[in-house]
Amino acid sequence: MDDRVIIAIVAVVGVPLLLVGYIQLGEWLLDRLPRRIAGRMRPYVWVFPAVAFATIFMVLPTINTIFISFQNARGEPVGLDNYVFFFTNPETLTSLKNNILWLVFFTGAVVILGLFISILFDRVRYESIAKTAVFLPLPISAVAASVIWKFMFEYKPAGQPQTGTLNAVIGVAGFEPVAWLINTTTNNPALIAVGVWTSTGFAMVIISAALKGISSELLEAARVDGATEFQVLRRIVIPLLRPTLTVITTTMIITALKVFDIVYVLTSGAYGTDVIARQLFQRVANSDYGRAAAVGVVLLIAVLPVLLFNIRSFRQQEEVR
Amino acid sequence: MARNWTRESRLVTLVVAAILAVAACGGGAASPSAAPPASPGGESPSASASGGQLGGQLNVWTAWGGEELSAFQAVLQPFIDQTGIQVNLLTIRDQDLQLSNNVAAGTSLPDIANPPNPQRYEEWAQKGIMKPLEDFIDMDAYLANTLPGLLLEDPNYGFIDGKHYLLMVKSQLKGLLWYNPKVYTGAAPETWDALVATPPAPATQLFCAAFESGDASGWPASDDLANIVMRQSGEQVYIDWYEGRHKWTSPEIKQAYEAFGQMVANDKVYGGTNYVLSTNFQRGGDGLFSDPPGCLFLEQATFMPAMFVQNDPSLKAGDDFNFFPHPKFNDEFAGNVEGFFDTFVMYNDTPQARALMQYMVTDQAQQIWVDEGGTLAASKNITTYPDVLGENASKILQEADNILLTAGDYMPADMQRAFWKSLLDFTNDPSQLDSILANLDQVQAASYTQ
Amino acid sequence: MTTAASIRQASARSAAARVRHALRRVPVHVTVAIVMAIWLIPTLGLIVNSFRTVRDMSQAGWWTTLFPPAGFTLASYETIFQTPGFSNSIINSLLITVPATVLQVVIATFAGYAFAWMRFRGRDLFFLVIVGLMVVPVQLTFIPVLKLFAATGLAGSFIAVWLAHAGYGLPFQTYLLRSYIGSLPKDIFESADIDGANHVVKFWRIVVPMSIPAIAANVIFVFLGVWNDLLIAVTYLGQSANRPLTVFIGQQTTSLGGNWQILTAAAVIQMALPLAVFLGLQRYFVRGISAGAVKG
Repeated sequence: MDDRVIIAIVAVVGVPLLLVGYIQLGEWLLDRLPRRIAGRMRPYVWVFPAVAFATIFMVLPTINTIFISFQNARGEPVGLDNYVFFFTNPETLTSLKNNILWLVFFTGAVVILGLFISILFDRVRYESIAKTAVFLPLPISAVAASVIWKFMFEYKPAGQPQTGTLNAVIGVAGFEPVAWLINTTTNNPALIAVGVWTSTGFAMVIISAALKGISSELLEAARVDGATEFQVLRRIVIPLLRPTLTVITTTMIITALKVFDIVYVLTSGAYGTDVIARQLFQRVANSDYGRAAAVGVVLLIAVLPVLLFNIRSFRQQEEVR
Repeated sequence: MARNWTRESRLVTLVVAAILAVAACGGGAASPSAAPPASPGGESPSASASGGQLGGQLNVWTAWGGEELSAFQAVLQPFIDQTGIQVNLLTIRDQDLQLSNNVAAGTSLPDIANPPNPQRYEEWAQKGIMKPLEDFIDMDAYLANTLPGLLLEDPNYGFIDGKHYLLMVKSQLKGLLWYNPKVYTGAAPETWDALVATPPAPATQLFCAAFESGDASGWPASDDLANIVMRQSGEQVYIDWYEGRHKWTSPEIKQAYEAFGQMVANDKVYGGTNYVLSTNFQRGGDGLFSDPPGCLFLEQATFMPAMFVQNDPSLKAGDDFNFFPHPKFNDEFAGNVEGFFDTFVMYNDTPQARALMQYMVTDQAQQIWVDEGGTLAASKNITTYPDVLGENASKILQEADNILLTAGDYMPADMQRAFWKSLLDFTNDPSQLDSILANLDQVQAASYTQ
Repeated sequence: MTTAASIRQASARSAAARVRHALRRVPVHVTVAIVMAIWLIPTLGLIVNSFRTVRDMSQAGWWTTLFPPAGFTLASYETIFQTPGFSNSIINSLLITVPATVLQVVIATFAGYAFAWMRFRGRDLFFLVIVGLMVVPVQLTFIPVLKLFAATGLAGSFIAVWLAHAGYGLPFQTYLLRSYIGSLPKDIFESADIDGANHVVKFWRIVVPMSIPAIAANVIFVFLGVWNDLLIAVTYLGQSANRPLTVFIGQQTTSLGGNWQILTAAAVIQMALPLAVFLGLQRYFVRGISAGAVKG
């Protein structure tokens, strides 16, 4: 028996107990306090572990990042140079343009497909099998996904047997093979399609879980009242799913802003497919932390409107419930 | 009901508190074992007690996997047997990032690992993070036995303040022209002009090429260009160029791109440029062995046979594939060759780490490496190879006037990536050459000064 | 009206109506089949190719193997199973993944409950910060966090990796759970208040049972993320030799990408366990588990 097994036992038993114990103990202590103070303290006891983790692993490093974004690779202050670089370098500008493509098409496709698929699959009895198919890409690592999609996008010159799935299919239809990842009209859509293929399962799982929360009595009542399926969807299902759709949209916007590994492994950003997170990764790999940090800060600012929208929608949720 | 809930919750609280107390003790006992062994075997002079064996442990990082890793394990085995040292081998591909994170955070480093990016050599040598070879290697013997190249007294190659930091353990020769002796039966073209004027028959095209390599796409083309620059314009232009003192828009570099363009012109290259750009370099030899033959020549390094055989295990060295050296552009620079060296750096000065560094450059270790296949030795003493191709390649390295290293590896990361990407863009659309080179000048101006 | 009742009602209809009903359902089944096919084909290609030789893969598309002569080989799998350290790396992956998952999901559920059902000063700010952090690339945090681990003596341990995964994963988990828990109906909490239930009771008796689908979804995503992680493990395990499966798989290819065919088998092996977790938790994604969770 090695150390690892002991650690594992301690962890698997201890970690949940520690956490449950923390909340039980916290509440036990709160019960000993005057009611008014306890009421004020209680929320902090509940959010403390999450806030502590976020502070240590993300907030403090992020504040550090903001400072670093005003320094060069050697740690000397350079004012706004890193930001000027970001907004004037042709490579980052191409990346910015591509991220906007991802933001619109990737987010839109994942949310719409996720909604469509969860509602569609909800209507068949073999739902769990159907869902497994769409879920399947999620547990595939980026490296494996690149292997898969190289099989899909593989290009052989016209006249040779096509070993790539897509070119074989369009070959049967009588078209010339396409170099999907090289051709500048097809490469960004191809990469976004890979992203959609990977992430739709996520949207489906979340939307589907929320869909199960809508009571069937409510839906049946509407149908009995003569509502068409479309009306049920528009007037009942979608409004009830709105908080969930906000979550999915937010998550996908953030995924689109951070998209990295698909581009990294399939085109490495060549042929006009670069994205800002790959630029950031390259700078980190080069220990050019100043410019990397500036990219990080730009991402943070870009996501601000989304955050405010979330706060607003949560307020609405609280008002209507 | 309410009372039940409350009572139950209190009970749970008590039980949990009790278990927590126990877990806290258990956790306290277990956590030290989770911490890494502090500088493993660092101070264990007691080794001599165990029958002359050093004993202890070593943490070694490599980027190798598959056959490369098993070859290294074969090299290590006699060392482990002789010294009783336990060697913990880890394959880590982004070593520069991991090493520099650990240096910045002050966390422990592996005892032996690959060097960082060349831009860090000076700082890390001066801070004592990398340990100089002079402290523990017999330098006279090492310098005499080892191929030149990294041994040049050049800070780019880890020669800082009069000391060497990079230990050369094995090598590759780049810029070879591979061919199928059953298809191409002529003599090796001696000049570049003769090479590009070779009639492609019986193959459909003269050249094969494949530049896709995931996140490093374009590097195979960068070797082609490096070989042209060093033979066309010489070693001084070559070095100035990767050190950022020679412009990309200069006539020397521009003519090198134009020569490279002769190899990858859409009507000269097997499958057309789309095929070249979307095909992984490991499959670059497909056209040599296809029926009817797709091409006569593929430019690639000494590691290429492993990929030929991976794709078709029936292929035999010498019978199915062979190479001739890169043709010359002129007599003046014909003796320049491009080499690649695998190197190690010692980060923790322990008796175990010293012992392994010393062992890796012995003839015994070098011979095992060569016998495992797929690589050339770093030592000049090794002349016996598993096949005649290895011996021929080794001779070219030994007889070279200058062994020059892969240019891109000595450029700042931004420059290197822009260089790789420029070759992809140029292959895709050669008419853009001037704007591609102008952009590279901009990257050069920005990336070397930072 | 329950689903069972509506089925019974349907069966009471005339045979003609039933046929008409079945016919009307044909487009639904066809659409489901098409969607499934689109999502399955790429993965199917991977699985089929994982049983082929490199030579076959480069000469003919994977679908040709489905017809005789098939030419299957187990070589890629054999290589992986026979390499020393394979089973050890799976154990390491589990030792990293299970505690990290538990840690994240439990903490996120606490926080999700508080953010959704408690009012306190700074709530919106906390929440804004937590959600905003989802966009921060983890690479930017490595050096400060490594310094912290070095100072606390945790560097290079599994504990460091659990904590790091929790730190990076929590913003997203909290966000997801806050949204779900926030959608639970108010009247249930109100009636619990009338019964005199305190927050612990409400949490374990109402929030957790009613949020099972969301918690199950979170478990799946956290498990996946940690199981497939390479970067965080490599960064925080330091010199430790206890490497997860992702590192082991990296060792199977050469530094030049040789032996890439082994990645096909590796990917199949790697996705097996997360898939099993998904299938195992799927029964929590059924209607009625949080019955009445939405105000009618």
